[in-house]
Amino acid sequence: MSVLKIDTTDKHIINLAAIVGGPGSILYKTADLLAYDCDGFTIHKHLPKAVVFPKNTEEVSKLVKYCSDQGLPFLARGAGTGLSGGAIPVNGEVIISMVRMKKLISVDLENRRAVVEPGFVNLKLTNSISDRGYYYAPDPSSQYCCTIGGNVAENAGGAHCLKYGVTTNHILGLEVVLPNGEIIEIGRNGVLDEPGYDLLGILTGSEGTLGIVTKITVRLLKNPEGKQTVLAYFDKVEDGSQAVSDIISAGIVPAALEMMDKTAIEAVEAAAFPVGHPMDIEAVLLIEVDGIAAGIEEQINQILAVCKKSNVREVRAAMDEAERGRWWANRKTGFGAMGAISPDYLVQDGVIPRSKLPEVLKKIAQISEESGLRIANIFHAGDGNLHPLVLFDARKPGEIEKALEAGSLCLKACADVGGTITGEHGVGIEKREEMRFVFKDVEILAQTNIREVFNPNNLLNAGKLFPTPGRCVEIKKEINAK
Amino acid sequence: MITDESLTELKAYFKDIQISEEDQHHPLGNSGRVTIFPKTEQEILTVLAYANTNGHSVFIMGGGTKRGFGGMLEKADILLTLAQYTGIVEHNPGDMTITVKAGTSFQEIQTYLARYKQKIPLDPYNPKHATIGGIVSANDSGPKRLGYGSARDNVIGLRMVYPDGTLIRSGGKVVKNVAGYDMNKLFIGAMGTLGVVSQVTIKLRPIAKYESILFVSFPERNVEEIRAFAAKVLDSMIEPITLEILNPSLAGNLTNNNQYILLISFEDVKSSVHYQEDFIKKIIPDKTTLRSLSQNEAKSFWDHFYHQQPNGLINVTTTEAVLKIGVVNLDAIKILQEAELIADACHVSIEAHGGLGTGICYLTIRGATEDILSAIQHMRKSAVKHGGYAVVKHLPFSLRKEINVWGEKTAAHFLFEGIKQKIDTNIILNKNRYVGGI
Repeated sequence: MSVLKIDTTDKHIINLAAIVGGPGSILYKTADLLAYDCDGFTIHKHLPKAVVFPKNTEEVSKLVKYCSDQGLPFLARGAGTGLSGGAIPVNGEVIISMVRMKKLISVDLENRRAVVEPGFVNLKLTNSISDRGYYYAPDPSSQYCCTIGGNVAENAGGAHCLKYGVTTNHILGLEVVLPNGEIIEIGRNGVLDEPGYDLLGILTGSEGTLGIVTKITVRLLKNPEGKQTVLAYFDKVEDGSQAVSDIISAGIVPAALEMMDKTAIEAVEAAAFPVGHPMDIEAVLLIEVDGIAAGIEEQINQILAVCKKSNVREVRAAMDEAERGRWWANRKTGFGAMGAISPDYLVQDGVIPRSKLPEVLKKIAQISEESGLRIANIFHAGDGNLHPLVLFDARKPGEIEKALEAGSLCLKACADVGGTITGEHGVGIEKREEMRFVFKDVEILAQTNIREVFNPNNLLNAGKLFPTPGRCVEIKKEINAK
Repeated sequence: MITDESLTELKAYFKDIQISEEDQHHPLGNSGRVTIFPKTEQEILTVLAYANTNGHSVFIMGGGTKRGFGGMLEKADILLTLAQYTGIVEHNPGDMTITVKAGTSFQEIQTYLARYKQKIPLDPYNPKHATIGGIVSANDSGPKRLGYGSARDNVIGLRMVYPDGTLIRSGGKVVKNVAGYDMNKLFIGAMGTLGVVSQVTIKLRPIAKYESILFVSFPERNVEEIRAFAAKVLDSMIEPITLEILNPSLAGNLTNNNQYILLISFEDVKSSVHYQEDFIKKIIPDKTTLRSLSQNEAKSFWDHFYHQQPNGLINVTTTEAVLKIGVVNLDAIKILQEAELIADACHVSIEAHGGLGTGICYLTIRGATEDILSAIQHMRKSAVKHGGYAVVKHLPFSLRKEINVWGEKTAAHFLFEGIKQKIDTNIILNKNRYVGGI
């Protein structure tokens, strides 16, 4: 047995370690902290003061109370897969890691719900109940390792949220440690419409700035009886976009409707899960329909007809589950696949009204040309959620800045057509300034006012979500106070 | 307090806005000393800014169907009615979204959308008169919530007029959006205590190509059997849009069949609906009977169903209460069972239905006033015992003062108060309408 002891005179480290039961549950040495200096958004890095690993709600509450009393900034972290920097300790926070709170507490299939701890991994939930024919719907690409607590913080989406909704539509109840250490329960027993303002709704997607979730009641769904996936290749991206619109307009609600452009296809075909997409097409669509088996064939035929009308080069349904699996593996590892064609990439997350797809894709192509950086597009076309991937080489001086600038311009293009700057990745630190593309100062103030109710000292995950320095907002607030 | 002097001032100030100074007495309360009828968002802004500056209290009304829902004060200085603020602002059929002004009646929007084979996937009560603003503010939902979700799942953007007359937009026009806090959620169901809903942007669904309702009646009143059957349906691969149990009183009223009846409805392509109907036919328990309605007949049934719930526009002749109870899904059947016992014990009639996939139940209670109050208390105890809550959705003003409309405060109440205080600092909007006197 290794003999661990606290090797510092820092009283905060000693006290925090005491709360979580000793040196095995805290990291504080620089070498150990390096792994926590960023999350999935790797452009900005900052070292935390310490990382603590509580085992239960009481420990979280005590840690929070301690930090709050001592004026130490703190934040919660799950698997660290967030793509917007929501878990980066920009103020040298004490990181409260939720990874040891990873129990599946209960499953009630009759009432279609489960209770999990925040560190429980997304995909594990589905795996634990799939033999009974149930699943948990939100399926972010990182679902094999991301935690449900993190999903709640970010209101995570995924390819299948077109039909089934994002995380917020699947959260029935939460136990939350507030920034003063107090523990509250909302959506008790997972009962719908608990009287009072919808705190479940405001906490989900608040990027860890309003409280730390310590227990989650989620909704479970029954596996659809049938599922069919169609793959369609288009010579022109406009035709692919038109097909997307026409499928939706035809009254079909696909479970997923995904699109990749030429550059993205080049990457996924060069990476770990190639499926043999032709390299000379401009767009591939992946369309999945699920539901009652008896009704699926009719919808598939309609989809095939719509694609043919839109000058599709080739369109066909998956032959079997194995082929369907290969198509999805190819798509779901799309971001990582960029590594095969570029040393670095920056992923963006704009959303547009579906009908604006051709217009915005043209604009993104123009941004790519003007910046001199390649931009690949992988997106949830069905709900208008674009993921432009800006490819760059961080070793070349100035390219990071150029990539950030191009990413921001893509978001501006989305906002300009009535869209928004993030559909599922969150604002974090990455898109703080871009919040101004969609919100006026008074609207940002309306949001920071809500933060003040929960988090009055702003010690919990400060500096996220809202524009900095936000000077005009602060000034206005002062004026209002007077 | 509005004096004659301030009324003259008010009229001079709003010379283009219709003001009526009927000093209304309404048995449901939620009235105003003057009623103001804005026609534009700008007029709503002006009225609230004026009221906030001058310390006038404001109640908000749409179609008036929820006039009996909450509210411990009979009158405000100003009743702001959105009845003349109506119409569709923007509809993009290809985007499957619509933006409408708050005072537009639900039915008017659905009729318009039907031309595009689209619909708002909500099924509120009294759709003919209920406005979209009121539905969103009260988070009203019906049995089809099982299939389509509620306002909180479908509203994607709001334009809110804050009490100080500031316009705040939340969400947007896109169906997926995590930019900033999800402020829509705060305003949905807030009963107008945080702001006036001016415009609502909402996701649409295609109107299903085919629909049907199966009525499975259980002559033996054996709730365990109903529960087991519902659990079997829920555990199967079929995808019902409703799984709603009616108690014998309500079933008698709606179908002339005084038994527990389970409404299982389907909306999909025809082949899928028939397939699911056949599945149910194969698994229904012995001694139950089955009847079905499809297409227009099914639509007519629903239309009748949504208009049976007492609301603020009905002339009050007998005393009626509507109770909303939330419990864990399948416990809805227990609530209905206990409603039978409580109806007998309290000498009231209770018509009730509950969603076995949602746990949301509605009870209409009729009888002598004291008996109604007693039945409400008993039903609330029963709901709390099952881990849920009971909210009084409709009751005359004089009786609302006798009971707690929303139930006991929770540990989170200080957050509700904090939110109200931040947004409506002078407490001018729908005062005492909501949880814990907010």
